[in-house]
Parts: sequence; C-alpha cells; structure tokens
Amino acid sequence: MTQLLLNIAPEWAPTLDNFVAGRNAELLSALRHALAGTAGERCFYLWGEAGSGKSHLLQAAVGQARARGRQAICLCGALPEAVLLEMIAVDDVETLDEAGQAALFDLYNRVRESGGMLLVSGAVAPAHLKLRDDVRTRLGWGLVYQVHGLNDGEKARALESHARARGLALPHEVAQYLLRHGRRDLPALLAILDALDARCLRLKRAPSVPLLKEVMQPPEPV
Amino acid sequence: MPDKALWDSCLTFFRDSLPPQQFNSWIKPLAFEIDGDQITLTAPNSFTMKLVQERFLPEIVKRAQSFFPGTPSFEFRIGKKSSVVPAQKPRTNASNTARQEAPPAPKTSKSHNKLNPQLSFENFVTGKANQLAHSAAIQVAEAPGTNYNPLFIYGGVGLGKTHLIQAIGNHVRQENNHAKICYVHATNYVSDVVRAFQSKKIDEIKQFYNSLDLLLIDDIQFIADKPATQQEFFYTLNSLTDGHKQVVITCDTFPKEISGMTPRLTSRFSWGLTVAIEPPELEMRVAILLLKASQSSNPVTEDVAFFIAKHVRSNIRELEGALKRVDAYSRFHKRPITVELAKEALRDLLASQNKQVSIENIQKTVADFYRVKVGDLLSKKRTRLIARPRQIAMCLARELTQLSLPEIGAAFGDRDHTTVMYACKAVENLRTIDSALNADFILLNQILQN
Repeated sequence: MTQLLLNIAPEWAPTLDNFVAGRNAELLSALRHALAGTAGERCFYLWGEAGSGKSHLLQAAVGQARARGRQAICLCGALPEAVLLEMIAVDDVETLDEAGQAALFDLYNRVRESGGMLLVSGAVAPAHLKLRDDVRTRLGWGLVYQVHGLNDGEKARALESHARARGLALPHEVAQYLLRHGRRDLPALLAILDALDARCLRLKRAPSVPLLKEVMQPPEPV
Repeated sequence: MPDKALWDSCLTFFRDSLPPQQFNSWIKPLAFEIDGDQITLTAPNSFTMKLVQERFLPEIVKRAQSFFPGTPSFEFRIGKKSSVVPAQKPRTNASNTARQEAPPAPKTSKSHNKLNPQLSFENFVTGKANQLAHSAAIQVAEAPGTNYNPLFIYGGVGLGKTHLIQAIGNHVRQENNHAKICYVHATNYVSDVVRAFQSKKIDEIKQFYNSLDLLLIDDIQFIADKPATQQEFFYTLNSLTDGHKQVVITCDTFPKEISGMTPRLTSRFSWGLTVAIEPPELEMRVAILLLKASQSSNPVTEDVAFFIAKHVRSNIRELEGALKRVDAYSRFHKRPITVELAKEALRDLLASQNKQVSIENIQKTVADFYRVKVGDLLSKKRTRLIARPRQIAMCLARELTQLSLPEIGAAFGDRDHTTVMYACKAVENLRTIDSALNADFILLNQILQN
C-alpha cells in the first residue's frame, strides 16, 4: 500500500538569501543596496540564458520589497498602464506587446524622474532586444547585468542547500549523479530533487542513487 | 455602466475557473470602481491585496483592455467596501511645473506634460554631431516664436533629442515664469486626443493646446497612421505658428521620410528649420563620459573614458549605462577605476557586442544593403557599383572590429593594407560632401550595432 503524503511540505519561496550567487555576487549586492535605498540607480536590466536565475532574482527582490512594507509586483507578458506601485519587476520583457512596451516606456520615464524601482529581465543584452528602439535603449541606460548560470560545483551547492531547506539530507554521490545525468538547468534539477524528496517520504527510504534513477525514469506509456 | 459589465465579466471568469472556496476568499470580497480611466480595486486586507496582485491582476488587466481604448491605470486600496483608505503610494510628481501653469487643463493620461529641470543647456555636451541642433535650440529658447518655427529636430534614439527640447522648455521657463509650456510625448498626445474624442471633449483639448506659448512634442513619428490625431495636430500647429507661438518637434527621421504621415503635415514640418542630430563622434562620447563622471564621487580618468567611448558607440544612453556599470563594479570590488577594471566590468557587454559585429557580418550587411553579392565585394572588380560598397565595408570593419588593417585587407580578397587605408580615407572625404552616402554609412553602422 502506498503511503499518501500530507501536503505540508515547507513552502519554498525565492529569496535573495537562497540564491546561490556563483559569479553574480556583484549583481546580488547591487540589488540589496537598491532595495535598501542605499544605491543611486533604481532601474536594472538583467539578462541571461533560460534557467540562469533571472525570475528567481526578480521574485526575490519583489518579495523583499514587500517585506519592507512597499507595494511591489512581478509581472510577465503584460504591463498595465500607470500601475501605482513603488517597485515593479517585468520578467521576459521580449514578450511585451505594443501596448506593454508603451506602458514600459512611460513607467521607465516615471521611475527615473519621480522615484520607485524598476527591475526588468530578458534573454539578451539590451542592444539585441527586439523591442521599440526607445524602450531598448532605455533598458541599457540603467545598471545592466548578465546573470551567469552556475557551474557544476555551484549547482551541487545549490542542490544541497535546496535539499537542506526541505529537510532532506542529500548524499554527495546522489547530487553528483543528478548533475551528471540530469538536464543542465537548475530549475529542472530542483524539480527532480523535489520529486526525489516526495518519493523518499512515500517509500520511507533515504535518498540514494537507485531511488534517484527511478525518479528520473521517463513515465511508462499508458 | 462599463464598470459593472467589466467586473461582471471578471467575476464570471473567476467563478468558472477557480474552486468556490478560492473565489469566495479572494475575489468576492473585492470592491471594484471605475473613475474615468482609473480602476480602483479595494481589498479587505494587505494579504488579499498581495495575492490578488500576484495571481489575478494579469487576467483583470486583460479583460479591462477590451473595455477601454487604451490600458487603464490601476490603483489598489485596502479597506472596507464603503470606507476605503488609500494604500501606500509611490512617490510621484516631484515637480509638475508645466501642468500647474497650463489652464484649462484637460484630463491628460499621466503626469507626462512636464519638464524635467535636470535637462538643461548647461549639461548638454556638444560636438560636431549636434552643433547645429544645439545652436538652433538656443536661438529658439532665447526668442521663442520668432525664428525657426517649427523647429524640427531629427535623429536616432538615445542621441539627446529629448534633452535638447526639454532644455528649450526649461530655458524659456527660466526667462518667463508665466509662459505656458507643454512637453508631451507623441504617444501621450495620441491618447489624449483619442480620450477627448471619446468623452466629446475635443474642444477642451484644442483650447488647451492652442493656448500654449511653447509646445514641445517628442517623437512625432508615433502619430503616423493616425489620421484623426494628425488632423488635430495640423490645426494646433497652424494655430500656434500663426500666433507666433513656438513649436518644437522631434522625430527619428527626416520629415519627408516619415511613412504614414499626411503630406500637408510633413510639408509644415519643413517650414521652419530642420536640423539633424547624428551619433556622437569619439571625442564627444569622451566628453559626455567625463561630464557624467565629474558628477560622481568616483573619479574617471581620460584613458578610461576613451576606452569606454571606443567600445560603446551606438547611443548616449548605453554609454551612460556602461559608465554606471564600471562605477558599480569599482565600488563593489573596492578598487579605483582603471582601464583594466573597465575591461573587466564591461566584459559581458563587449562579448555580446562582438558576437554581432564580425567582418563576415559587415560584408553581408553591406552587400545586402547595396544589393551586390558578397563575392563581388571580395572580387577584383573595380566598377564603382562594387568598389564603393567595398570601401564602405572596409571603413566599417575598421571602426567596428578590433582587426588590424592587414587582416581587414586579407578578408577582402587578399588586398593590401594600404588599400584599406585608402578606402577609409575616401569614405571619410565622401561623407563630408555626399549627404546620401553619409546617411547610408550611419544607417549601416546602426544596423550592425543593432
């Protein structure tokens, strides 16, 4: 009989503290300063490959701004005109349509002139964005950072820290196996880790390579 | 009642798509009001507000867009449905000088009709690329409505057009505090006109714009393909210029080149003075960087400014962005700004640029532009039809890549480096006497740098 799990897993939320910095230490520090109001620049553009951690950083920054009592929102794919908030994060800026780009143009100008904070992410450097020219050049006007994905050592550390947060003791060889055989982007690796955790609980077994292999097996066709 | 219809449609959607418990907890307690183009959502507590913003707002926005011509603005409040307390708002409208002075103020969409006091002639760096536009702007600011009316300034993005026209506005305000000045971006002008048509208040908007002493309208290309707005603007332009009130217009291109614009309007644009702002040359880029750096506590030497200016060529915004990045890098690593440090700080940016501008890319882009074959550019053919694009491509390769002249020569059909030198000199000379060739060169440069 299969052990059913109570849905009481600790809720994991992206924060600046649980972001494994890797080569992004300067970016992390710049965001912390901007959120604390100790930096001059309030407009950030982060770019990098999918899975490098852009959405994590945006959501973490919005979360921190809210924890400080500010109104903040993270949007993706649509940008309402004239949202009256102190911090706005726009994820995947290249998905904005014409109206969204016009709203971003106004928002950018307003933030520069009046205050607030704007955090935008995209897949490529500002100069290569396929957006309205005046929006594209504005995104290059603030602080621009490339978000670098983690190397294997850093990914192993990120997996261990994620496992620890879930109360799962991850043996080194399991982490290594996952890194060698799993997809190379962190969100996919973390999803496998979550599945492994659930399976360990269900079977009341400690995490091991054979168990991981079972989790990584593609589902059998029905 | 659009608010009822809109909110009913949201309620129906969420009732169908959410489990009843979630619907009752999050959506039902919300109060929804519309005032003009502003939608106010009131939630009983900040937790509900946060959740609604995160999970349900995009859908509400999507639905609102089908009920409004533009996108409405949203305000979030916390409180009971009847007695609402405004939620904390961001700091906005630090200075709204232009609008305070402009009766009868129509209900414009945002706080956009205002001057930014930081954009003045004093902090506008001049060089060969913007000299003419700068002196025309000063003349207009000193005697508005007398010379050059309208003043039409055109050029690519991020080259300082907005700075220049805002500087005109600030100068006029300084000289005459009672002058009615309006700075408006063309997209906002379009929304104002559309909104006025809808609310049948077109006379109000006419009266407002016709009562101005100085109208600064930015990026006029955005009224292309909008005939009703163009007609309104045509009347406003005529009324202001006839009354010797100054109009200053910026655009991304020459009046005759704007597509989707009625000819009578483009011909009016050329009645006053039309001046171009070109991309800044190296010396001007250095001067801009040094001026910006002088306002910071982190000193930048000339060789660092030269390094940044040499590598960031496309527009002034990216130039300033690069300087900020170098400054942030230096502060984070607690090291003074040197060329070495600037190289490290801009490594990602430069790597992403270099990916684009390879010599093959230059040859392909130039060949496509002039409709010749890349093979012809590399061949021995010396007809002007081939030789001119080849010379331009060589000159671009010298500007945009780090390759040596012998390497460039070798990449163009094994030519000698002196041929490359001759080509660069010839193109430089031609650019001063042939404006069409100069425009082609600038355009190609911008295409290659995206």
